[in-house]
Amino acid sequence: MTLRLLLLCAALLPWLTGCVNATVDQMVFNSPTAGIGDASVVILGRRHASDYETEPGFIRCVGGHIEARDPSIRVIDELEFLNALYPWFEPRTAPLRPSDLEKLFEHRDVAEKFAALQTRYMIWIDGSTVRGDSAGSMTCGIGPGGAGCFGFGTWSDDASYEATIWDFTQRAEVGRISATASGQSYMPAVVLPIPIIAPVQGTACDSVGDQLLEFLSRTD
Amino acid sequence: MSGSMTTAPERGRWLAALALACLLAGCGTKQVVVESEFPDPVMNPLPLRLGVWYDNEFANHEFFDEASGRAESSWLVNTGQAQVELWQTLLRGMFREVVFMNGKPGPGQMNPLVDAVLLPSVDELQYAIPAHTNVKVYEIWMRYRFQLVTVGGEPIAEWTMPAYGKTPTAFMQSDEGAVRLAAIVALRDAGAHFATTFTRVPQVEAWLNSLPRAGGQAQVLP
Repeated sequence: MTLRLLLLCAALLPWLTGCVNATVDQMVFNSPTAGIGDASVVILGRRHASDYETEPGFIRCVGGHIEARDPSIRVIDELEFLNALYPWFEPRTAPLRPSDLEKLFEHRDVAEKFAALQTRYMIWIDGSTVRGDSAGSMTCGIGPGGAGCFGFGTWSDDASYEATIWDFTQRAEVGRISATASGQSYMPAVVLPIPIIAPVQGTACDSVGDQLLEFLSRTD
Repeated sequence: MSGSMTTAPERGRWLAALALACLLAGCGTKQVVVESEFPDPVMNPLPLRLGVWYDNEFANHEFFDEASGRAESSWLVNTGQAQVELWQTLLRGMFREVVFMNGKPGPGQMNPLVDAVLLPSVDELQYAIPAHTNVKVYEIWMRYRFQLVTVGGEPIAEWTMPAYGKTPTAFMQSDEGAVRLAAIVALRDAGAHFATTFTRVPQVEAWLNSLPRAGGQAQVLP
């Protein structure tokens, strides 16, 4: 009976998650009229701020979300793109406005690389997930008879991201999406710590990914 | 029963030794060897035959920061190998031909004939980890000094250039791993900064304009 209970708890543990609130704002100026065809999309993180950095993992998550739900959309890996166009998209040199692309395309080699990659949209994501207030305490001990923890901890996470969509053919910004998410995680511990984690960054990733997917898959 | 009587103290001693080892490890030197491959730059090469000389200090560059208290660790960050890898890759993409010198340019030193020789060096390197700043990023900041000289060692230009790299804290990432990543970002930034500003250094610009074949063609910048 005890074994069954333990197995049941073990099976339910991965499903224990904290609650997350998410808000999405979308502003589309000029959406595609017939999907993006054979063209590709690149998603890049903005890394200009001194006190935070858009996480590479978040960029991969959004790209994976789009590709998983619409395999016809080709998302170029961020590092692959940065390496292919080094040194023009490093934090110091990356274009800040769509009009800066004109200057960049004056370089024949850069223009040729872009043509080879068939990039139609460039999506810049700026933001991060930060750990907020935390409370509680937990004590863990180890001895010859075993180890264990006792206590309770809780903390909050806040995610805020903004995606800006540039159209290469028009050399213009065609859409802007912002997503915020916040959630509270808990960790009670009676011998074993039981993490009840709020998937804040994952929720923000899904929110941004869904909106981008809607934009890129749109066929008016 | 007798078995458990003999193993419990042994287990306790083993755990005590492990705990002591963990404590001692926390006070040791954290060593970071920066290794990476860098991408070829996408740019029209300058029509120059450039010589390069890396002195031993640059090719084996390392930075040591001694711990200021018992609770802190000393740091040894070795960037020499990655520096050479970066500058070799970058300069080969920036110039029509890059030649490595036999010795430091100067009177009497036999070297291949080139338009100019570049001598890079790292003037200063600083790092910051979240324990220092309470900001959840790891940072590396470097200041380079470049000398552009003739084969005979006469100065053409000398300038300094900063480079900066940071990486956010990440779950399950060690301090060493994060500092290594920040150093790689800083090296990429150094390459990007150099590639996009080389021809704008006033002394370099004047020298390029004085070369009959390079006048007006040495366009690297957007």
